[in-house]
Amino acid sequence: MLSVNCVSKSYDKVLAVDNLSFSVKPGDIFGLLGLNGAGKTTTFRMILGLIEPDSGSITLNGEKIDYSVTNKIGFLTEERSLLVKMTVLEQCLFYGTLKGMSRDSIITKLDILLERFGISDYKNRKIKELSKGNQQKVQFITAIINDPVLLILDEPFSGLDPVNVELFKSVIVELSKKGSMIIFSSHRMEHVELFCQKILILVKGRTVLSGDLNKIKKNYERMNIFIKGDIDIDKLSKIDGVLGISHNNDEYVVNIKNDSIINSVFKAISKCNVTKFVVNEASLNEIFLASVGEAYEG
Amino acid sequence: MKDKLKYLTWVSLKRKISTKWFLIVNILLCLAITCIVNIDSLIKFFGGDFNDKRVIYVVDNTGFFYDKFKVNFESLVSNIDDFSNFSVVADDRDISLLEDELKNENKNNLILVVNNDPNNLINCDVISNHYVELIDLQLITSSINNTKVELAIANSSIPVDVLNSIYDDVSINRVILESDKSLHDENITIVMNTIFPIFILPFFMLTIILIQMIGAEVNDEKSTRGMEIIISNVSPSVHFASKVIAGNLFVIGQTILLIIYCLLGLGIRKLIGGDSIVNGVIDQVMTSANDVIATGIGSQIMYILPVTILLMLITFISYSLLAGILASMTTNTEDFQQLQTPIIVVSLVGYYLAMMANVFKGSLFIKFIAYIPLISSILTPSLLILGQFNLFDVIISFLLVILFNYLLIKYGLKIYKVGILNYSSKDLWKKMFKALK
Repeated sequence: MLSVNCVSKSYDKVLAVDNLSFSVKPGDIFGLLGLNGAGKTTTFRMILGLIEPDSGSITLNGEKIDYSVTNKIGFLTEERSLLVKMTVLEQCLFYGTLKGMSRDSIITKLDILLERFGISDYKNRKIKELSKGNQQKVQFITAIINDPVLLILDEPFSGLDPVNVELFKSVIVELSKKGSMIIFSSHRMEHVELFCQKILILVKGRTVLSGDLNKIKKNYERMNIFIKGDIDIDKLSKIDGVLGISHNNDEYVVNIKNDSIINSVFKAISKCNVTKFVVNEASLNEIFLASVGEAYEG
Repeated sequence: MKDKLKYLTWVSLKRKISTKWFLIVNILLCLAITCIVNIDSLIKFFGGDFNDKRVIYVVDNTGFFYDKFKVNFESLVSNIDDFSNFSVVADDRDISLLEDELKNENKNNLILVVNNDPNNLINCDVISNHYVELIDLQLITSSINNTKVELAIANSSIPVDVLNSIYDDVSINRVILESDKSLHDENITIVMNTIFPIFILPFFMLTIILIQMIGAEVNDEKSTRGMEIIISNVSPSVHFASKVIAGNLFVIGQTILLIIYCLLGLGIRKLIGGDSIVNGVIDQVMTSANDVIATGIGSQIMYILPVTILLMLITFISYSLLAGILASMTTNTEDFQQLQTPIIVVSLVGYYLAMMANVFKGSLFIKFIAYIPLISSILTPSLLILGQFNLFDVIISFLLVILFNYLLIKYGLKIYKVGILNYSSKDLWKKMFKALK
């Protein structure tokens, strides 16, 4: 289990991470969310042992993270981390060897992964000759080639088309099922929402929301009602508890305070010609925006 | 971690040598060095005016001048026969006919008219169609004067034994009053003054290559987040050490290759039978060196050479440590190139002072500078050869370089640890000073 306990880090007078605590169990996919500059990269760097926290501790399976355990960690950086003058094979041999793998095991694993990602033909091509999407695939392969116990993914879907996003997701879920702990960071909430069981939202280094994603959604009372038809917008907006109405394509999205408002809305449109009335929980994106917004206002 | 250090060093070295540019540069270096060693043969191969055989027509109106002049002239030009292609022939044609020939046909030939002179034994006219090069004129003049002296002595009634003693070389006995100086050392100094520049220039060139290679490699890794992946798996000190070791191994390898290219050039020279002024210098140095060795006191060379090589090797480490630290502080190759300029200037100071040390013998300033690490590798051996440094001074220089390297490792590593993961040039110096604390 990865345990981050009351960790703080500041650069000069700027507090980058403030008393951060969370844990990731084997098989968990943990979403670490936040705006740019929220402290995500600093947190990743502290987990990897690249920088020391000012206070608090970080352990992996009870041990302090040092060079004796980093072989078991995989890291996909948000920005390019490939040495573009190398070939795909050379790059994977380089990072794989640094993770303590033997040449033979790297090549065996690499062949399987290249096949899986559909880039076997590029094995001996220089990285600079590959497209951005294929470079991202190679970067991802270098992060998982050692079957990491802990995998840190910082914006893994950057530069990928929807087909490859699905491919990446399936591999991530597979690793999770095999027992890897996965920390996932993305600005795309729909991606986080799809497979993160737990999330933590950081604002200026402080935790503003954390816990089980389903529970967070459940506890977040606001809901959306999707209505298609000829309805009286003025009448709906006057209902106590209706926070806002927006028009999206050919349907209306009514944002309500909590589920007790659903009946009032339903009654108000019951005599109208309505073809769709669907009640949904708030999306993670809304929760994120609300949390970040509140934190900034606070 | 030891395996990772070996691996990182190997990868770093491989990145330097398994490129087509390394191959191309070395082919060019090999060609250039071979050409330089055989430059005279190369010049001759392509031909030019210097290939034209020229004739000095000697119109000897004295009846006794020609034979001796021919011997003297040929003896004088024998050392530089590649560049002086005159032949001397006696000619009894009318002067006007010879002058017509010079004007219309063999325009580079010369006419030497020698007449009796009641006051000065002989007088001469040197006739040419156009200007004569100074060196040619000096050769002819010297030969004429030598011939005249010989003729004058022969005509006087000096006994044969006295005449022989006049022509014999003077026996010169060298005496050095300072008790710690010897003739052997003097010979070594002559030899080393010739050989030493051969060491300095490649050292200077290799130092610049070393600095640039380490800087470029660190910056290359820093230009991506690859550095984070690397440093999350190996410590900064291992990473730093791998760059320094690989850089130095490269430089040592390149030095060996340069020596091989020189030997190849000399081998080709031997094959094509090249001999010239260049060859003359080499022969002269080799003769002096052989004389020194024959006298059984190569002892000074025996420690000057290892001292020089060892100091250079330790200084290579200093330069590579410094280059690594500076490269870690910069965020791109352009910044590093600017930052490396002062190091190159420091190296240049050493280079120029080494050249000037012979002129300003005993200069306290040069002596002081010679102790300074980075410069000492060039200056200390120079002063040692000139007799201005003794073994004690050399030991001080050694200790100072070792101390300098120790401080670079101790404090530089702190900067390196912070620097390699720093991607911004904002508050750079502040960050570095903070890292030192």
